[in-house]
Amino acid sequence: MLEKTVREFMPVLLGTPEGLPDPDIEGQTRFALEYLSAGAKEFKPVYLIAAASFKVLAVLLKRKPWSMLTIEEKDYVANKLFSYSNPLLRSIPLLLAMPILASYYRREEVQMALGFDAKALKADAELRTVTRDRDLPPKCK
Amino acid sequence: MIIRPEDVKGDITKSADVVVIGSGAGGAPIAKELAVEGRSVVVLEEGAHYTRDDFKLNPLESMMRMYRDAGQTITLGVPSVVAPMGNTLGGTTTINSGTALRMLGPILKKWHMFHGLHDITEDEMGLLYSHLEEYLFVKKADPEVAGPVANTFLEGARKLGLSSGWLPRNAKECEGYGSCAFGCPSGAKQSMDVSFIPDASKSGAEFYTCCRAESIKVSNDVAKGVTGRFVDPSSGRSTGIGITVEAKVVVLAGGAIYSPFFLLRQGLANSSGQVGRNLEIHPAVQTVALMDRPMDPPKGIPQSSHVDEFKDEGIMLEGGTVPPEVHAVTLPFYGKAHAAHMKQYPNMGIFGGMVSDIDSWGRVLALPRAGYSPSIFYSLKGRDVEKARLATVIMAEIWFAAGAKKVFTAITGHTELGSTADLRRLAQSRIRARDIYAMSAYHYLGTCRMGSDPEWSVVKHTGETWDVENLFISDASILPTSPGVNPQLTIMALATRNAGFIDDKLNNG
Ligand SMILES: Cc1cc2nc3c(=O)[nH]c(=O)nc-3n(C[C@H](O)[C@H](O)[C@H](O)COP(=O)(O)OP(=O)(O)OC[C@H]3O[C@@H](n4cnc5c(N)ncnc54)[C@H](O)[C@@H]3O)c2cc1C
Ligand code: SF4
Repeated sequence: MLEKTVREFMPVLLGTPEGLPDPDIEGQTRFALEYLSAGAKEFKPVYLIAAASFKVLAVLLKRKPWSMLTIEEKDYVANKLFSYSNPLLRSIPLLLAMPILASYYRREEVQMALGFDAKALKADAELRTVTRDRDLPPKCK
Repeated sequence: MIIRPEDVKGDITKSADVVVIGSGAGGAPIAKELAVEGRSVVVLEEGAHYTRDDFKLNPLESMMRMYRDAGQTITLGVPSVVAPMGNTLGGTTTINSGTALRMLGPILKKWHMFHGLHDITEDEMGLLYSHLEEYLFVKKADPEVAGPVANTFLEGARKLGLSSGWLPRNAKECEGYGSCAFGCPSGAKQSMDVSFIPDASKSGAEFYTCCRAESIKVSNDVAKGVTGRFVDPSSGRSTGIGITVEAKVVVLAGGAIYSPFFLLRQGLANSSGQVGRNLEIHPAVQTVALMDRPMDPPKGIPQSSHVDEFKDEGIMLEGGTVPPEVHAVTLPFYGKAHAAHMKQYPNMGIFGGMVSDIDSWGRVLALPRAGYSPSIFYSLKGRDVEKARLATVIMAEIWFAAGAKKVFTAITGHTELGSTADLRRLAQSRIRARDIYAMSAYHYLGTCRMGSDPEWSVVKHTGETWDVENLFISDASILPTSPGVNPQLTIMALATRNAGFIDDKLNNG
């Protein structure tokens, strides 16, 4: 159920990042589930409730059954819900997007495309040894 | 010695002079100071031990291993506040940003006047801070290493004539790997796991990791020891192996959320009814700027500069770079618009505005929940809402002065400021707490506060609880109010101070 939900919302909330690597739905879904499992026990049921609420509100806003809604229409609903001043409505896309966005932008090839080479920095860090030695001799009493 | 769960084959029974629960900013200094004095010290730490080899600049992996609830802890109330905290050897210091500031002068005066804490003097705190600053290699962030985001923000602040500068940090030879909050890969950051804990270990202190303290043994209102259980680091479930430590003194240092939770679960040290109350979180609003030039995030020092012009009004600006996966969840868009904005990540910077909470309300409760989890209630109220708005306006103003094309805020109705006209609109508006769609907090305080009146406080100025003799609390929970700045140095200073009282107690039998 959770897996289906993450898969279903991934293209809606992630968009199609032009000029960046394609989404890897399989790998990202796997990671998103792992990430959700590592959180508070209540997080998974809340996530499913948020997804169900999104669907109901999408149908009401667009006056169409969920299965007939295009990605663009769902994208519109996500941004619309987020623009409301009601914190509950606003938190629906916020919550749904969290593991999905994280699962994509954590990928090495995506980060490289955005100019962040974590591996190179780690390799550089490994070459250094910071000790707690002091440059000056200890103060005399 | 640091003991990992795989080193433990069966139930353990030990005796020691002192048993400490938690190895963060409050627990580790006590363990070190007392071990150096020749006391036998056992520390129980619920989180696992990771070293620089494990810190691979992979934020989410780090959060899943070293943060409570993978960093997804949120407060209940309006607005919801993301409240990350560490659950690893070294506590939150292992994953913090390394800012090492002294408490603001007027705050100590407030502690004297409103909480009767006259015994904590400015001179004594000054000496403790100086000692810590030397021990932890505290020095100002190097502008050469800080990175373009911090330099750009400061450039904007200077243009506006605002008081600003480089933050003092407990980092030695920092090279700006941008990963302080996910474990420093070079060992530069002087968190507890690379400073107090190894030194305590050298003096004989024993650190049991993946070991959750479950109850404090009390007889005739005197603490006698602790019982606990080893837990699986990934699931948090008990491994079935237990530990009992008989001790002359027990120190609770689980942090301002988990210490009151611990006491409330056991119904301990709460004759005042203050345990879990008076929660302050020093909440922060963020702004994201889109610049006309590369900002090169997340390289640099994640939190290296500040604007302190408004510190007396309870607003401190500090920042800022975060890696792409964290940045992605801060943007106020979804779908296509989100993807389009994320492409501009290389030209973006982020800065935070912290608000000293004076009107807001917060409380930690031990309600029935799955797992070992407290409930954290928090509502931003009154002048604090206004301060959050002001902090946002000031940050946006600074970004524009530094050449930003756009500024994204966390205030509904004002999420995208494309010009100074948009900024004026925000500057002239009134907002409610519910209009802030996202806040985060890093400094939880006050839930077992110190004071001179047993009816209004949980511990004395020495850290010992009013109700249970030989039970000390030493962590962020005892600070009666926010120190006005990032609190780790103050927590360590008070812990070092409390170690002296514990030592006296042990000397006097
Ligand atoms: C991302 C982030 C960045 C921050 N940056 C800064 C900064 O730059 N400067 C600054 O001054 N402050 C910063 N802080 C805050 C600062 O790190 C904390 O205020 C400080 O570490 C709190 O110290 P503490 O001892 O109260 O708790 P912690 O350091 O959190 O230590 C508590 C420890 O107790 C353990 N524990 C809890 N319950 C039990 C139990 N029952 N049994 C065994 N162990 C238990 C926990 O696992 C934890 O390791 C930051 C915080 C965060 C989250
Ligand atoms: S910026 Fe990098 S090197 Fe410096 S303390 Fe943080 S993680 Fe360590």
